[in-house]
Amino acid sequence: MPGRDPLDDRPADTALAAALRALPERAPEPDLWPALSRALELRCGRRHVWRYLLPAAAAAALVVALLWPTPAMHEGVSPAAPSASTGIGPASTFPAGSSAATELAQLRQRSRTLERWIAAVTAHAPQDGRDLMAAVEVEDLIGLVDVQLGVARTDADALPLWRQRVALLEDLAAIRGNAFAFAEDGDRAEAMPATFHLVN
Amino acid sequence: MSAASFRIEVPELVLARARRGDARALETIYRAFERPAYTLALRIVGDPESAREVMHDAMLRLIERIAQFRGEAPFWGWLRQIVVNEALMHLRRMRGIALDGLDEGDEPAGEGPTPSLFADGARVERALMALPPLTRSVLWLYHVEEYTHQEIAEMTGKSVSFSKSQVARGGSRLRRLLDTHEEASPCLAATL
Repeated sequence: MPGRDPLDDRPADTALAAALRALPERAPEPDLWPALSRALELRCGRRHVWRYLLPAAAAAALVVALLWPTPAMHEGVSPAAPSASTGIGPASTFPAGSSAATELAQLRQRSRTLERWIAAVTAHAPQDGRDLMAAVEVEDLIGLVDVQLGVARTDADALPLWRQRVALLEDLAAIRGNAFAFAEDGDRAEAMPATFHLVN
Repeated sequence: MSAASFRIEVPELVLARARRGDARALETIYRAFERPAYTLALRIVGDPESAREVMHDAMLRLIERIAQFRGEAPFWGWLRQIVVNEALMHLRRMRGIALDGLDEGDEPAGEGPTPSLFADGARVERALMALPPLTRSVLWLYHVEEYTHQEIAEMTGKSVSFSKSQVARGGSRLRRLLDTHEEASPCLAATL
C-alpha cells in the first residue's frame, strides 16, 4: 500500500494482519436490499415525478395548443362525421348547430387528430418498460370506451364517451410524447448484463 | 477477507445507469459490494444491527452522491470511504458508550507470538470483537483495509501517533486475548 512504512509492520503484526484478513466475510441478514429499495423509491420518486411529469405536461400542452380543432382549421370536415379511424359512434341525432352537436363533432375530429399524432410519434420514439406499461393500460381503457361507443344508441349517450375517449387519448399522447422527448437521451436502452471482476 | 475484496471494478455502463437513479444498476452495485461493505461496517461498529444501519445509511449516501462521482479515483475506494465514514459517525453517535481506545498504560507492547492461535478464525474473531471499538477499528483499517496511519488519523480525527499506538497496543491486546481467553474491558481514556 503506497504511503505505508514497512518498518511499521513487525513479524508478529504480519501474522496478525494475515489472521484478520483470513476472517470470513459477512452478509447482512436478513437481506437489506428490500428496505433500501423502498427508501430509494421514496427518495427518487420525488425527483422522477418532476423528471417525467414536466416533459409529459409540456408534451400534453403542446398537443393541446397545436391540435385543438377550431372551425377555421377544420372547415372541410363534416361536424357529424364519425371517427374515420375507428368507424365508431352513432350518426348525429343532435339538431344541427346545437352546442352538443358541435362539441361531438369537435371531439371526433380531435380524436382523429390525436390518433394520427400518436401513431406518428410512436413510430419514431423508443418506449421504456414503464412508459410501455402505462401506454398499454391507457389503450385498454380506450378499447373499453370504444366498446361502449359501439353500442351507444344516441348522441346523448355517445357524448360523454367521446369526452372520455379524447381525455384518454390525451393521456396516451402525453406518455408517447414523453418517450419522444427522451428519445435523444441515448441511454434508455437496456444495459448489458453487468459484469464485475476483482482488480488485482 | 482483505482490502482486495473491496477492489471490485464496476463497469462504466452500470455506473452511468446508477447515476440516473436506475434501481437495477444500484442493486447490482449493492450486491457486488454487499459483503465487503457489511464486513467492514461490522468490524468497526461491532454488532450486526448497527452494521446494518451503517450499510443502509452508506448506501443511501451513495445514491445521493453517485451523480457527483467523476471516476478520478476507483469507485470501490470511493464507496469504501463512504462506509468507513458512516461507521465512524455511528461510533461517534455512541460516544461515551462504545468509543474507547486503549491508552498508554493499558497494554504492554508485548510480542505474544501465538501463530497457532491465529489459525482459529472463530477465536480471532471473538478476540477482535472484544477489543474497544476504536482500537478494533484502527486495527482493522490498518491491517486489513491497508489505510496508512496518516489516513486513519484524518478519518478518526486523531493523531498519527494515536493510530500507531492503537495498532501496537490493539495487536498486543488481541494476542493476549488469544493466549488467555481474557475478555477485554474498555477503558475510558481515548474517545472518538
